[in-house]
Amino acid sequence: MNESLWYVSRATGVASIALLTAVVVLGALVSGRRRPHGEQATVVMAVHRWLSLGMVAFLLVHIATAIVETYVSIDLVSALVPFTSGYETLWVGLGTLAVDVLVAVLATSWWRHRLPERAWRVVHYSAYLLWPMALVHGLVLGTANEMPLLATTILCGVVGVGAILWRLLALPHHDRARRDAVLEQEWT
Amino acid sequence: MSTVPDRRATRELRVDRIACTGHGICATVLEGRFRLDEHGYPVVDRPRVPREAGDTAIRFCPARALYWADRP
Amino acid sequence: MTVDTPEDLVGLLDAAGLTGRGGAAFSTAAKVRAAHGNGAHLVVNACDGEIGAVKDGYVVEHHLDELVHGARLVSGGGRRRRQVRFAAHRGSLTAHALGRAGLDVLEVPDRYVSSEETSLISLANGGLARPMTKRRPFVMGGTDQAGRRVPATVVLNAETVWRIAQVVERGPAWFRSFGTAREPGPRLVALTGAVARPGVLDTEAGVPMGDLLDAARPDPGWEHVVVGGLGGVLLTADDARSTTWSTAALARHGGAVGPGVIDVLDPSRCPLDVVTSFLTYAAGETAGQCGPCMFGVPSVAEAWRRLVETPSTRELEAVRAAAGLLPNRGACRFPDGVGRFAASALEVLHPHLAAHASGPCPTERSGHRVHRA
Repeated sequence: MNESLWYVSRATGVASIALLTAVVVLGALVSGRRRPHGEQATVVMAVHRWLSLGMVAFLLVHIATAIVETYVSIDLVSALVPFTSGYETLWVGLGTLAVDVLVAVLATSWWRHRLPERAWRVVHYSAYLLWPMALVHGLVLGTANEMPLLATTILCGVVGVGAILWRLLALPHHDRARRDAVLEQEWT
Repeated sequence: MSTVPDRRATRELRVDRIACTGHGICATVLEGRFRLDEHGYPVVDRPRVPREAGDTAIRFCPARALYWADRP
Repeated sequence: MTVDTPEDLVGLLDAAGLTGRGGAAFSTAAKVRAAHGNGAHLVVNACDGEIGAVKDGYVVEHHLDELVHGARLVSGGGRRRRQVRFAAHRGSLTAHALGRAGLDVLEVPDRYVSSEETSLISLANGGLARPMTKRRPFVMGGTDQAGRRVPATVVLNAETVWRIAQVVERGPAWFRSFGTAREPGPRLVALTGAVARPGVLDTEAGVPMGDLLDAARPDPGWEHVVVGGLGGVLLTADDARSTTWSTAALARHGGAVGPGVIDVLDPSRCPLDVVTSFLTYAAGETAGQCGPCMFGVPSVAEAWRRLVETPSTRELEAVRAAAGLLPNRGACRFPDGVGRFAASALEVLHPHLAAHASGPCPTERSGHRVHRA
């Protein structure tokens, strides 16, 4: 039973990283010169939102099974407060920290229209920090002997890094380019 | 596709034109009421939109550029 | 006339029917009432932002005491101390005169949209002199584009504030003895361009435009006039001579009294070139904040240039379509004005365009030495 829980925890963990990677990639697509438009943009946004909910479902199972199984010592507190678990304090802590950031991202997105836009933006962009933390957490802890899990996680890493590079290196969209150009003029 | 008659919608949906960066999601969600010009920015043909579709458009807009007018 | 309370002032302005003299013609009583109710700071707009405008500077030069008195009437009363600033373009004679008088001057960059109401409020609040989205009137306070709080601020045109002092001094009946029932009161108009006597006239709605033009002595052979600058409309000489100076009459030509500028076009210059200059200028003056404006206004200018180069129905429709996509699609009324101006040019200069299509420019043919900008 315990071993099944441990296996389910690792499997749902990898699933969570896969979904998180997909969500981050879709989010990264929203900017830049080749960002989607109209109907395409609607699909990207809808999938971005829905996948994030699916990811939460897998994540909850991942965390719950990790707490309940007794093979390694991770309690509820260490699932919320980073770097407090008995087992692999640093690597589990990274995962916990990633979840804390994720909770902030989800909460600010849920209540976006009640918050200052800048606050939402800062928290939402920290998803680019949360993703590598989750990835490293998964790589170190969950994939040692399982080729499929390891391969999936590495693939997520490659795809995610690719998306982040795309985001950093993409030329600005014509809207952004024109705004920036006019902003250079005299306005004070 | 909503077929709710307009008279049940009590408020107008507005575009914050400075916030709008032309993603165009509103024109898909509000098809028949919003459309896009050649540069990708919304043209509001019919500002009174059904509440549900309007709320969806507001939530989905990446630029947070849509809002309900204060008064009907 | 005594004004013991803010309500007294609003009552007088209401009875007089004074409306804004900056172009939007909103009820001044309503604005002052809201300003008092919200403890709003006051910005007096003396920028003469429209092309050819000089009447704000005229008020500062000739009626400064009354202007300052009017500003005090608007901003006085109430418990909170309300700021009064006088906005003028940096380096202008008006700014210089205001500074010399020891007034709090808001120096505005020399950009077309910078003298717009919300641009001034933004600038006064420490931001850039560019328009802001107005979810509610800023007389109630609001937020800027970055989400920072903007205190309650009201902007009134310099002439309007001067007229406020006049209404209080001489009474609403005096004010209403000028103008028409729907457009009461004396109003300034600037005559400029190809005229021997440019300047400001203190006139009123209902006066024949021909009288105003005659007073300015336009160059012989003049054919077109621009009423309201870049945000206004063109009129042929015939239409101008047979039109009354009032928004009711000018509405038939798509225009309005607006900020009070009548610009007679140089008859030795092809009017198509003049419009090209106006639209090219407009394309460079977008605040770069709203897609339909920052792309749409240059589109209109470009379409117009192509039309002038090769006049055809297709190019004409292209200009019409581009101009039609401007109204109501920006945070401010700048694109609306450009759309109105371009549509008016298409209509009024249609014969001239047709002539270009089938022969030499009529301005050349009329014997004038054509001056190409």
